[in-house]
Parts: sequence; structure tokens; C-alpha cells
Amino acid sequence: MVPEQSSPPLIRLKGISKSFGQTQANADISLDIRAGRIKALLGENGAGKSTLMSILAGRFQPDRGDVQVRGRTTVFNSPKQAIEAGIGMVYQHFMLVEGMTVAENVVLGQEGRFWLKPKRIFQEVGRLAERYKLEVDPGARVSSLSMGEKQRVEILKLLFRESSILILDEPTTVLTPTEIEQLFQAMRHMSDSGKAIVFISHKLDEVMSVADEVAILRQGHIVDEMEISQVTSTRELALRMVGREIFLHPDKKPISTGRDVLRLQNVWHGPLQDISLRVKSGEINAVVGVAGNGQKPLVEIISGQTPPKQGLITILDKPWKDFYRSSKWLEDFCYIPEDRLGLATCPALDLGDNFLLTTREHFSRGPWLDKKKARAAASDLFKTFNVRFTSLKAKAGELSGGNLQKLVLARELYRRPKLILAEQPSQGLDIAATEEIWNYLLQARGKAGILLITSDLNEALSLADWITVIYRGRIMDTFPAADQEKVSSIGPLMAGLKD
Amino acid sequence: MLQLRKRPTPLGWSAPLVFVTAVVLSLAVSALLLRLQGQPAWEGLAVFFQSGFGSTWALEDTLNKAVPLFLCSLGVAVAFKLQIWNIGAEGQFALGAVGATWAALYFSFLPWFFLLPLMLLSATIAGGIWGLIPALLKLYMRANEIITTLMLNYIGILILEFLVYGSWKDRASFGFPMTPVFESGAVIARIGRTNLHYGLLLCLAIGLAMALVLAYTRFGYELKASGENPRAGRYAHIPYKKLVILVLVISGALAGWAGFVETSATLNRLQPSVMAGYGYTAIVVAWLARLNPLGIALFSFLLAGMLVGVEGMQLELQIPAAFGKIMEGLILLTVLSGQFFRNYRFARR
Repeated sequence: MVPEQSSPPLIRLKGISKSFGQTQANADISLDIRAGRIKALLGENGAGKSTLMSILAGRFQPDRGDVQVRGRTTVFNSPKQAIEAGIGMVYQHFMLVEGMTVAENVVLGQEGRFWLKPKRIFQEVGRLAERYKLEVDPGARVSSLSMGEKQRVEILKLLFRESSILILDEPTTVLTPTEIEQLFQAMRHMSDSGKAIVFISHKLDEVMSVADEVAILRQGHIVDEMEISQVTSTRELALRMVGREIFLHPDKKPISTGRDVLRLQNVWHGPLQDISLRVKSGEINAVVGVAGNGQKPLVEIISGQTPPKQGLITILDKPWKDFYRSSKWLEDFCYIPEDRLGLATCPALDLGDNFLLTTREHFSRGPWLDKKKARAAASDLFKTFNVRFTSLKAKAGELSGGNLQKLVLARELYRRPKLILAEQPSQGLDIAATEEIWNYLLQARGKAGILLITSDLNEALSLADWITVIYRGRIMDTFPAADQEKVSSIGPLMAGLKD
Repeated sequence: MLQLRKRPTPLGWSAPLVFVTAVVLSLAVSALLLRLQGQPAWEGLAVFFQSGFGSTWALEDTLNKAVPLFLCSLGVAVAFKLQIWNIGAEGQFALGAVGATWAALYFSFLPWFFLLPLMLLSATIAGGIWGLIPALLKLYMRANEIITTLMLNYIGILILEFLVYGSWKDRASFGFPMTPVFESGAVIARIGRTNLHYGLLLCLAIGLAMALVLAYTRFGYELKASGENPRAGRYAHIPYKKLVILVLVISGALAGWAGFVETSATLNRLQPSVMAGYGYTAIVVAWLARLNPLGIALFSFLLAGMLVGVEGMQLELQIPAAFGKIMEGLILLTVLSGQFFRNYRFARR
């Protein structure tokens, strides 16, 4: 328990409960949020973190319980009322107008200002950015910003409204390591100047490095709450969060490899320069690099979306053109994209229909589609892959990130592909889901070759047999994952340093 | 203060209630407007219902008007499913009428069982081409289909007028722009002793077929998935270009059928008055029905009844034609805004 503190909390949640249909998202939650403190809310996906914060941000109303702001019980009927009470939230998906400048975005939606004075706004936003060390050019167009900079704009929006409580929902998933460090610095600055910060995360190391105190949420309950200084072992923390032991070092036995399933020879395409790599059946080749170093065009050509400009690509012994021209390719190749909601699924369609997206070939009889059979197959398959869903009629957009990824994986592996292209497969997932996804990929390796595109070194080292480092469209080096000496040089290689 | 709030779940069983409320509201306002014109309000509404739905004759008239509306709307809905905004049913309708008339005039010697299918075929082709053009323009010239289909409406109607004012004009029409009356083999027959014609059966057949296609075929599924999330469609290698061409051709062909049925069964000749705005009303019908074939049938009937009812009021009460348009607009406005409340509600602050 958190020791008694002299200052009254900015926000006190008392006995908050909220359920959606059968699921109890929050059960009798009490929580204090204090000025000048960074509070981490740790929990797996689906533990109820987002629901709790949505209640605080006025998007949902609790079934039971009180929200007290500065000692007074308050009911938020809308996000607007929460904002007026000084509560601001940065969501995982940014809400910015891409075509406008940073300064314009920051003042957008401010009431009581009919006349805008561009120059003054510009200066004000600039000063604010400087004060909180949120480095961003107020005159820049949002569309030209990196994810990290966009996030700073979101935070500036809240600071401009003088929000005293800032809720950051999984803010680090979209950031590079340097950007994460910058964000943490800004968070410390804000908390030093008296803001209360709620940091939602499932990443233990991040919580340990930035938070003052941590509350652990599991299945809608607060299972523990403590000062970071009191945490003796992160393993303990992980155990409490997940409720069981986690083995994040999956059992990766080398298996006998087969023929080449993918071969790139001297491929040039956009930023890609002279790329050569190969994937054998039975092995995982991880392309490691900081996002934006040519992974996207690489994925686009391998997945058949755009033809390569120059060079040879051979998939399952067929030239690229012939492979994608034959109708059988959909059987043999599968692609697990980074963007699960926007690319891999139709969020507004139900789970059964989403299953059919890439398996429709199997259930076609002439022009007809055997939906009954497909739904039966989907239902069985999703259960095998431990996708948690209430009914096949649920919309894909309602699933949590981990469940959605398991659905995509189940669907893609259903066709028993021989070549798998997996792009950031565990990004944004909690430990338990990551573990499952990794195990499924390792299992699939038995019958297929896998090209893994990832910026998560841990993931690459846990899964891959081969590591390929990419930097600015060039392959820096390729080596077996077992080569300890080379492995220790991955960091410099990712930064473009070659001895 | 009242505030708009999104409903956690869309309105279920009480949705029809919202619809009825909206209709009643619009009728009440119409009655008020009648009153302001010095007309008897209740009597006006009675005439409206009587002439739209109140007798066998009225129902037959309504059903006949529902036929072209249904065909156009079904076509438009198929395109809308893929998020292709075909505003061109009006022009495709015109081309269908032209296509059918061409067959009727030049093959008038054929017996009906050859001539009518031929007319249907040429209407399909003409309407289909009028859908194909914007599809190709969209895919290969990146032209927005809203603009191109809209523009093609004007061209289509002008082609129709060019023909009836020119080479197809009846010599015996005293200079009026109209073709000669079709031979009996080119006229869709009445069903039994009613005023209804066999175009109604055509609607039933195609409506049923379309419902089956949308629900149970791969094409229907691909349409839904691709329309819902075009990027996921591309990811799953759903042939988007093929679908765009297909839906616009189907859309155009169905509107073309409507043009065929209207010229053959209703007017028995081609004249500019065949263009009664069905192609535009069809868009409203498709939206009201949320692109569902059964709903399209229902709303085609209701809107056709409204058109007939308003005509009746004009005749019996000498109310200006513009008043009919006002009433039409009111009903559509209230019903469409009523649909908003399926997802939103008012709440007190």
C-alpha cells in the first residue's frame, strides 16, 4: 500500500466498477493520483487499464463508485467535462489534423477564441515546448513529423489547456529508443512542475525507470500498489501482473532446414540498395533495424504489392512474377502485417467474415462461398489459438490487440504456408500474448521459412536462427543468432557503424 | 441543457418507432403548411394517403412507380457497398431507355418473345456502358466517380433528347419530341386484368438474385470486405479494379433496366418526360434502406406512394406542384435525420 501522504490527492477513485455485458472490466477499484507524481498503471491487455482511464477521461460512466476531483465528487458526462476539470489524455492513436501546423493543432478546439493571432499562438506554443523540453517546431506541418514528434504535439495540446492530470496510454509503443528517453525526460519535467502523470504500460523496465509509484491491474482488480523504491525484483512485478510464471525465452531448438523458400539477389528498389538475403524452410531470418530504414519497401515487394525495380526475387523456386501470377501463391505465402487493424482486418466486420478474408479460396465452391463451414472452422481454429471472443458475431475492432493478433496468426497459419512474412508480430502486445505469438511462430517454422521484420532486438534474439541487420536500405551484416560475438555488435550495426 | 450522446449500442427494436415518428412529424408540418395556404389540412392529408395507398388503383400506380425506383436503387446500392459513389443512375436510366427504344424501333417486326429480351439486352449494354465509362475513368485517369457519373447524367439526357428531337421523332407527332408508339411486341404486358405490368416480376427476380449474391457468394463477400476496408481488401488480394468495373457496370445495367421498363411498359414510346428523377430518388432510397435489398424494396414502395400521393393532392386540391416537392423534401429530411437517432440520443446535462 502507498504510505499516507500529506498532500490531498488531485484525483481519488473510490470503488469504481464497470462491466460491459458479461465482462467485468473494472471491479471495485480505488486509486489516488497526486500532483508531482508519475503513477504507472501496469497490466496486461484486457486487464482494464484503458477502461479505467476512459472513465477518468469522461468517455465512460462507471456503474458504481465515485470520482473525486480535488476532494469533490464529480460526474463526467462527456470528455469535455473531464477536460474542463483538468484531465487530459494522450491516446495511442493520435488525433491530429495532418495538414495543419503544430501550433494550429495545439490551439484547435480551444473555446472562447474567435480571432486567432497566428504570431502569438506560434510564440506561445514555442515557449511551452521549450519549458517542458518537448522539442518540436511550432511551424512544422504535422504530416511531416515523426511519431515521437506527433506525440509531443498531443502532450502540448494538454499542457496548453493547462491540464493538471496527464494520462498517457501506452505512449512508448510507437517510439524509437531515443524518443522514449526524451519522452521520459519530458515526463519528469512535467511532474517536477506539479503535474500529475498517469503512465499506462505493460513494459516493466519502462515503468521501473520512469514511475514514482505503480499500481498493478489484473482482470479488473487492483492486485497491488507500491512505491517504485519498494520494488525489489521486477520478476515479482511481472508475476503479479500476469498471475503466473512467464517464460520469455521460448524453446528454440534448431531443426533441420530444407530448401530456400525466399531468395533476394541484388535487389534495388526505392531506398533499398543491393539487398541479398535468403530464408530456408525450417528457419527464421530476422531483419533487424530501427523503423524507417527500408523495412516498408522490403515488405511491399516481398508481399507482392509492388514489383521490384531491379534484381532477382525467387519465392519457392519461382521468379517473383511467376509466383504472384499463379493462383496457388495465396496457399503458400502469408503475410502478418504490422498494422493489424488497418491492413490485416476489417474492424467493422465480424470475426467470421474476418476469418474469410484470406481463406476465402478454401470455402469457395464456384461463385458460392460456404460461410457455414467457414464459421465452424473459424470457431474451432480461434479456440485452438486461444483467441478470447464471445461470439463470431463480435466485430474485429472490439478485440484487444493481443487477441486480434492471435486471430490474424490463426487465419494466416490455417493455410499452412511455406513462406511467412511477419512484421513486428508482437508490437504493442503484453507479455502473455507475446509469449503465445512467439510460440506459434516457432511451431510454424517446422513447415515453413519465416522472414521476421522487427525492431525489437529481444524478439529477434528469442526467435531467429539468422540475424540480418538493415540500415538505410542496406544490409549491414548477416550472421547466425548463435554467434555471440556478432550479436554483441548488433547495436552499432543498427546505428550504421561498421568496423 | 440538452446534449447529444452516442448510444453504446444502436437502437434495436424501437428503430421502426423512430421512423414512424419522423414520418408523422413531417406530415404534421405538411399539414401546417397546407393550413397556411388556406387549404383544409386534414382533408389534404387524407387525399394524400387516399391517392397514394388508399385504393387498388392507387396501390397499382404506386407499385408501378416503385419498379424503376427499385431497379435504380438496387444498382446504386451495389456500387455504394464498395464505397463507389455512383450518382449517375439518372444518366444510366436515360441510356437504358435509349438502348431499349433502339431495339424497339429497328426490330419492331420481331414477336414479343424475341423483341422484349432484345430490348432488355440492349438496355443492359447501353446502361452498362454508361457505368463502365466512369469506372475506367476512375481506375486509369484517377477521375473522381462522383463528378464523372454526375456529368454523364447530363450527357445521357442530352443524347436521349437529341434522338427524340431528331432522327427518332414521330412524323405524326405534330412536332412534339417523341418516338412513334411501340409495336405491341415491344410493350411489356399487363398482369391479368390489373394495371400492374410484368416489370414487377423482373424486380422480384433480380431483387432475390441480388440478395442471394450479396449474402452467399464470394463476389458479395469481397464487395463487403473491400468496401469496409479497402486496404484490407488489397492485403487479401481482392481484385479491386475488377470489382469497381463490375459494380459500376451492374449499377448502370440495372438503371438501364429501369429505363427500359419505364419506356416500354409505362409510356410505350420514348419521350423526354421519361426522365422523372428516379435516378436521384434512388440514391435516397438506397440510403434509407442501408443498402439492404429487402429494405430497398420497402422504401421504393413507400417513396413511390409518396410521389403518387402528392400527385393526387395536386389534382384534387389544385395545390401547386412545388408543394409536392416541399412535402417530399420534408419527409426525406425527417426520416434521414431520424436515422441519426439510431446511434445518438439526447441527454440532459
